Amino acid sequence: MEYQFHWNIVFQKMPQLLHGAFVTLHLSVFAMLIGIVIAVLLAIAKMSSSRIYSIPATIWVEIARNTPALFQIYMAYFGLGAFGIHLSPYVAVLSALIFVNAGYLTETFRGGFQSIPKTQYSASKSLGMNGIQIYRYIILPQMFRRIYHPMTNQFVWSILMSSLGILVGMNELSGETQRLQSLSFRTLEFFIVAAIMYFIITKFVLLCASLASKRLFKGDI
Amino acid sequence: MKLTKKISLVVASLVAVTAFSTAQADQLDSVIKKGVLNCGVVLDFPPMGYFDKENKAAGFDVDYCNDLGAALGVKVEVMNLTWGDRIPSLVSGKTDVVIGSTSDTLERAKSVGFSYPYFVFKFQVISKKDSGISSFDDLKNVKVGAALGTTYETEYLAYAEKKGWGKSNYTSFKSENDAYLGLYQGKVDAVISTNTNIATKLQTNEFKDFVAGPFVPNYDDVVGIITKRSEVAWMNYINLFLVHQIRDGKMNERYNHHFGSDAPADLIQALRDNK
Repeated sequence: MEYQFHWNIVFQKMPQLLHGAFVTLHLSVFAMLIGIVIAVLLAIAKMSSSRIYSIPATIWVEIARNTPALFQIYMAYFGLGAFGIHLSPYVAVLSALIFVNAGYLTETFRGGFQSIPKTQYSASKSLGMNGIQIYRYIILPQMFRRIYHPMTNQFVWSILMSSLGILVGMNELSGETQRLQSLSFRTLEFFIVAAIMYFIITKFVLLCASLASKRLFKGDI
Repeated sequence: MKLTKKISLVVASLVAVTAFSTAQADQLDSVIKKGVLNCGVVLDFPPMGYFDKENKAAGFDVDYCNDLGAALGVKVEVMNLTWGDRIPSLVSGKTDVVIGSTSDTLERAKSVGFSYPYFVFKFQVISKKDSGISSFDDLKNVKVGAALGTTYETEYLAYAEKKGWGKSNYTSFKSENDAYLGLYQGKVDAVISTNTNIATKLQTNEFKDFVAGPFVPNYDDVVGIITKRSEVAWMNYINLFLVHQIRDGKMNERYNHHFGSDAPADLIQALRDNK
């Protein structure tokens, strides 16, 4: 290959790249944590026999799962902008990622809930637990243990998809990479380093998730 | 016997010469041999590059692609690029040349080969008529946007940093069109772009309430054609092509077609002087 790599420019710009990586990290972690909370509620709503709960939840899940994330981010930024609602790039990307994370995780969680025998609900009730206690102490810990691996897939997806933030001019890792490469035209160098950073961020988040889940769900995962 | 020896010697040297010349084939040869010039243009940047009413590539840069193809006697394939795609497209061999209004900074020239300048832009501000932006320093208190990875973005950010404005008022957009969409929707109060692009936009109905404002101080955006840095002979050809564009009056003809007036004398002189 005739391409000559120039790495020194990448090291010079490392502070900016690391700042971009940090934005990517907290953006995707927030999107994931808030997405999980909403998805638990949506999953319960979707299994509800009452249509007031199940229909909105179903609509959310169907739109989130069957449209591209790129479209959702664009709609959150320019789509709402057409109606005079101006979200900052960060909030637009965050809300789009929460929307799609919640949609995907709902189906995962519903599977998890349904894998828990119905008899456990009656057993807990007979012990005098109320609805919240049943979920808090009996159902959720088992559910999270069962769906842990599919859930981490969504974690990885969330981190990698945050790179779509570049569409609305966000200064996350991809946006920063794009800006820096356009100054120097050392495209390959910057993209290779960005790819390595994404890899490290993903591994780091998965490690934290596995440590946290060991404490929270007290299971071997 | 002697004759056979002579013939084999001639054959051997012919083979050697052919092999040698194949190894030496540069981009100029390969473009002529394949009969196609893959020419990259940013078709998001009227009037330099855009899609016309029939959804065909058009613009000053596209005309230059066609003129270069005509000079070489080859067919021209115009490839639509974003600002960020320009270098990867050259490195990967998808384009032979990029005529994409590329600012010829010394930093970039470490990575790609630049031709002589072929156009000079001014960077300018576009904003709503009532925005009250009369000097470049008025941008301090308003929200400013520009397309990601452009020289005007860099210039604005450098200026803002020098003045201590900070980055919080600044939004970058993925493309030139998105920057104008953001301005139109009111996400930003002012967009920085080139004088030529702003003039084109102001003619459209959507931007009738907008006005071209101050220029970026002390900055001429001089742009060149880019190729792989190693293709020096290919670049020589392109440089001579640019000289001919001026000498034969083609440059003025193209300018007239896209800007509705003759090219300013100082622009022509600057290009003749390679400045």
